[in-house]
Amino acid sequence: MSSRTNHDRTISDGSHDAHTLDRVSAVNPRRRRRIPGIAAAIGAAIALSACATDAPQDTWQPVGENAQKIHDLQWPVFLTAGIVGVLVFGLLAVTVLRFRDKGQAMPEQTHGKPVIEYLFIAIPAVILAAIAIPTVGVVMALADTDDTECVINVTGQQWWWEYDYEVEDDGTICGFAPTAAEAAPIVTSGQLVIPADTKVLLRGTSRDVIHSYWIPRLNGKRDMVPGRVHYLRLSSETPGIYAGQCTEFCGLSHANMRMETIVLEPDHFQQWLDNELEPYTSPEEGTLAAAGEATFITQCSRCHQVNGLVDDRGTDDPDDDTLVVSYPDQFVYSGAAPNLTNLMGRNTFAGATFDLLTDECRADVWEADPEVFGERYLAGVTEDCLNEIELREWLRNSPAKKPMYADAEMLTETDGKTRGMPYLALSEDQIDELIAYLLERK
Amino acid sequence: MAIIERPTDTPAVVSPDAAPAVATPATSYGVFRRPVETTGWKSWLFTIDHKKLGIMYGVVAMAFFVIGGIEALLIRLQLAGPDGTVLSADAYNQMFTMHATTMVFLFVMPMAAAFANYMVPLQIGARDVAFPRINAFGFWTFLFGGLFLNTSWILGGAADGGWFMYAPNSSVAFSPTNGVDFWALGLQITGIASLTGAINLIVTVINMRAPGMSLMKVPIFTWMIMVVQFLLLFAIPVITVALFLLMFQRSFDATFFSVEAGADPLLWQHLFWIFGHPEVYIIVLPAFGIVSEVLPVFSKKPLFGYPLVVFSGAAIGFVGWGVWAHHMFASGLGPISVAVFSVATMAIAIPTGVKIINWVMTMWGGKLKFTVPMLYAVGVIVQFTIGGLSGVTHSVAPSDTQQTDTYYIVAHFHYVIFGGAVLGLFSGLYYWWPKMFGKMLNERMGRWNFWLTIIGMNLTFGPMHVLGLQGQPRRMYRWTENRAGEGFFNIGFWNLIASIGSFVLALGVLMFFVNIYVSHRKGTQKAPLDPWDARSLEWITTSPPKEHNFDRTPTVGHLDEFFHRKYEDRGEGDHHDYHQVATAEEIVAEEEAKGDSHIHLPSPSYWPILLSLALPIMAYGVIYNIWLIAGGAALALLSMYGWGMEPHTAPDDDYDPPAAGTELEVAAHG
Repeated sequence: MSSRTNHDRTISDGSHDAHTLDRVSAVNPRRRRRIPGIAAAIGAAIALSACATDAPQDTWQPVGENAQKIHDLQWPVFLTAGIVGVLVFGLLAVTVLRFRDKGQAMPEQTHGKPVIEYLFIAIPAVILAAIAIPTVGVVMALADTDDTECVINVTGQQWWWEYDYEVEDDGTICGFAPTAAEAAPIVTSGQLVIPADTKVLLRGTSRDVIHSYWIPRLNGKRDMVPGRVHYLRLSSETPGIYAGQCTEFCGLSHANMRMETIVLEPDHFQQWLDNELEPYTSPEEGTLAAAGEATFITQCSRCHQVNGLVDDRGTDDPDDDTLVVSYPDQFVYSGAAPNLTNLMGRNTFAGATFDLLTDECRADVWEADPEVFGERYLAGVTEDCLNEIELREWLRNSPAKKPMYADAEMLTETDGKTRGMPYLALSEDQIDELIAYLLERK
Repeated sequence: MAIIERPTDTPAVVSPDAAPAVATPATSYGVFRRPVETTGWKSWLFTIDHKKLGIMYGVVAMAFFVIGGIEALLIRLQLAGPDGTVLSADAYNQMFTMHATTMVFLFVMPMAAAFANYMVPLQIGARDVAFPRINAFGFWTFLFGGLFLNTSWILGGAADGGWFMYAPNSSVAFSPTNGVDFWALGLQITGIASLTGAINLIVTVINMRAPGMSLMKVPIFTWMIMVVQFLLLFAIPVITVALFLLMFQRSFDATFFSVEAGADPLLWQHLFWIFGHPEVYIIVLPAFGIVSEVLPVFSKKPLFGYPLVVFSGAAIGFVGWGVWAHHMFASGLGPISVAVFSVATMAIAIPTGVKIINWVMTMWGGKLKFTVPMLYAVGVIVQFTIGGLSGVTHSVAPSDTQQTDTYYIVAHFHYVIFGGAVLGLFSGLYYWWPKMFGKMLNERMGRWNFWLTIIGMNLTFGPMHVLGLQGQPRRMYRWTENRAGEGFFNIGFWNLIASIGSFVLALGVLMFFVNIYVSHRKGTQKAPLDPWDARSLEWITTSPPKEHNFDRTPTVGHLDEFFHRKYEDRGEGDHHDYHQVATAEEIVAEEEAKGDSHIHLPSPSYWPILLSLALPIMAYGVIYNIWLIAGGAALALLSMYGWGMEPHTAPDDDYDPPAAGTELEVAAHG
C-alpha cells in the first residue's frame, strides 16, 4: 500500500461521505439499505474522483485542450448515468418494499400496459440521443488536425518509446530555430519534450507489436500499430511532467513500458533544443568517465547511439577517428535501442520504468510548480541526485530488473535477436566506469 | 404439430400421422454390443439423454469455474501490493489470458449450455433434443477442448497474449511457447461444440414444441436460448476463420498477420470483435432468460411486457452485430467509423434498458417472495444496471479513449458478466436444483452464499472503477508506488480492497459447494413437486424427470401453462379472484394416468465420445507431429462411419429383459 502522507483533505471528504451514507441507511429499513447505499457510493466515488488531485494518471484531471474537450463531454454523461441509476434503484427499492408478500391476494395476471412500455423505450432513446449528438461533435473535433504547429514522430517497440524530432523545411524544429548549432534531427526516448501552448501532432507507429500512447491528462489513448501511421494531438498551457503508460498489451514487460510528456515554456524548450544539438565532448582524459567511454564503445555502442561519439583508440591522428554508429538491427528484434546522447537530461530510463533521480530529487521535479518546473527539469540528473542503486542494478543484469524475454532458449525464434537489453556480464569496474561516463551525458 | 419423430413399433398415440423417420434394422451395427446401461459410469459416458448431458455440462463448467477462480485469486494476490512477486511477468500474462479464456469459454458458455440442454426440451414439452447423439458429441467436444487447452500449463506454458490475442503479438517471434497454439486449437474445438449445440437447439425449438405452443407462448428462457443459438451460429464461424488464420500463421508459416509481408494487424481485431461482441450477448442473454423466468414465479405475476422482452432480446441479437468496433475506439479507425459505432453502441442500450425496466415492472404490483433464486435475480437487476450504466459512459467514444484498457473497463465487464451472467446462472441453479436433483438447496446456506457473493463482488469490482479512472491500465503484472498517488484515491489502497474482496467472493462461491454437500446429506428431505409455485411446463413432471420427460406430451394453451392448470380466475370484469383448482401432484398424476403407451427413446452410443476424442488428438498433431493428425483423422472417420450406420435405437434383444413394471420398460424400449 502506498504511504499516505497527504491524507488530510481527501480523507475528510471520504468520511464526510460515509456519514451521508449512514444517514441514508438509518432512515431505511434493513432491506432497502443496500440499493441506495450502492447508488450513493457510486455517486460519491464519481463526485470525489473529480476532486482528487494526486494521481499522476488521473483521467479526471484534464490539462490540455484535447483532454479538456473529452472531460467536458464525459462528466455530464457520468452524471446522467448516475441519476438514471439512482432512479432505477429507487424504483426497485420502492417495489421491493411495497410489494413484499404480506398475504395479499394473487395479483392480476397481466403482461402490462403498452403505453408504459413505449414510454420506457422513449425516455432512454431521448437521453441517448442527447448524449449522441455532442459525442459525434467531439469525435470530429478531436480528429481535426488542420491547425497543427509541430509534428513529432513517435515509435513504439518492446518496451519503450522513441521520439524523433524532424527538421522542418524552414530549418526549425517544432517551430524553434537552434541558436548555435545547425538544426539536425533529434532522437530521444522515454520522455517526450514539447513546448507549451503549442498544438503538437504525434505521428506514431510501431516496430514490432501494437502499443498505445496514452498521457491521460493531455488526451485519450491512441494505438500505434506496425505498418500503419496513427495520429494523436497533445497540447498544454501548463508546464509540467505528465505521466503515461502503454495501454495496449504488448507482451512480457507491458507493465514496464511507460512514458512521460514534458511541457516546457518556450524559453526553456529553446534551451532544451540547443542542449540536444550541442556537439559531443569527450570526458577528460584519465578520468573514470574516460575509461567509461571506452567501455561504452566496446560494450554498449553496438545498440545504443551517442551522437558524435568517435572511436580514437589505436590512432594518434585526429583525422583518422571513426564516428561510432550503432547497428541495433543486428541484435535487437525491433531493430532499435534508446539513443543515449543526453540520457541524464531525462530523468527516467529503461522505458521510463525506473527513475534516474533519487526520491527527494524526483519529488523536486515532479511536484514543482509550473513556474519553476522548467529550470528544475533542465538541470538534468546531477551526481548528488543520481539514483545510482537502480542504474547499477540495471547494468548488472537488466533482464532481472525488467523482464525482457521469457526464455533465452527461445531466441532461435527471433534469429538470436533479443527483445530488449540482454544480460551483458559487465564487471563491477566496468559498471563504475559506465556510470561515470553516462553521468556526463546531458 | 411436430412431436419427436422416432421409430416406433406402432405409431405414437398423440401423432398418428407421423410416419417413422428411419426404419429400425434388426441388429445393432458393428462388433460391439450397443451400450444400453441406465446406471453406472457407462450410462453417463455413452448417454445421449439431454438431462444427463446437461448435468455433465454443469459439473464440468463448475470445475472450470473453480480453476478460473483460482487464476483470478492469484492475479489479485499479485496486485494486492506494489511490485508484487507472487507471479513472474510471464506467469502473470498466462494467468490473465487463461482466466478470461476459462471463464468465458469454459464456464459461462457451457453453464448456459447446461441449462439450455436440461431445460429447453422440458420447457417446450419435448422428450429430448432434435439430435441427441450430436448433443452428446457437443458435450464431449467441449470437455476435451477445455482439457486440451489446459494441458498447455504442463506442456511448456499457457497462452500469454490475452484472451483477445491481438496480432502480431500472437506470432511465434513474440510468443515462442506453444501456449498460443493450444489456445487457438482448443478454442477451435470448443467452437465446434458450440456450433453443433446451436444447430441442435434451434431445430429443437422450431420443430419440437408441444402441441399448442406457438412461438409467442414459448417460455422466455427458451426464447433467449434460441436468440443465443442464432448468435452462436453466425459468430462462431467468424472466430473459426480467425483461429485458422492464426493456426496457419504459427504452425505453417503463413503471413496473414506478418506486417513485414504487408499484413494489417487490424484484420485480426475486426475478426475477433465481430465474434467477440456478439459473444458478450451469448454470455449474458441466457442469464437474462433465467431472471425473466424467476422474477414472475416469485412475484406471482406474468412477465411484464413478454412480447417486448422477446423482441428486445431479438433486437439485441441483431444490433449486437453492429457495435464490434467499440472495442477498437483507440485503434485509429478514423473519426467517421468511430462516430458511427459510438452511436450504434448507444442504441443497443435501449433494448437492454427495456429488459431492466420490464423486470422491475414485473415485480411492481406483485406478491414478492425473497427466496434465494429471487435474491439472485434481484441481484442481477442491481449489479447489471451498474455495469450497463458504466457501459453507457464508454459508448461515448472520446470518453472511452480515456477508459479503454484501464481497470474501469475491467470493472464494467465484471459487473456485466459476473453481475449479469454469473448471478443469473446462480439464480437458475437454486431455482431448478429441485427439478434436476429432487432436493432443495438449503435456503439458509443459500443466503450466506448470496450475500457473501454480492459483498465480495462489489468489494472486488467496485474499486476497479476508481483504479481505472485513476489511470491504472489493465494487464500489468505489477504497479509501482510512484504512480499510485496519495490520499483517498491512491491506487494502493483500492488495489488492496479489491484483493480482499476477491477472497470474500471466493468464500461466497465456496458456500455454494458447501450448500450442495449440506443439502444432499443423508436424511435431507425430497423436494416437493412444485416447491416454488412455478408457471412453466418443466414442472409438469416428476423431479428429477423420468428419462422420457413426460408420460404424455402436454398440450399447451397458455404462455404460463402450468399456472393456468393450477389456478382459475373466478372474478368478473376488472375484479380478479384466483382460486387454486389443482395441485401439482394432481396435475402430474393425471398426466401419468393418461401417459402414452409406447415411447421410444434413442439408445446410448459409443460414437459421439469417440469422434470427440479424435479432435484433440488431431490438435496435438498440429503442434507436435503431423502423423498424429492422420491417426486422429482415422479415428474421426471410423467414428463417423460407425455413427452414420448406427440405427437410432438398439434392437430389443440388446437390452436385458427389464423387470415387469419398472420405469425402464416404458422408458428405454417400449
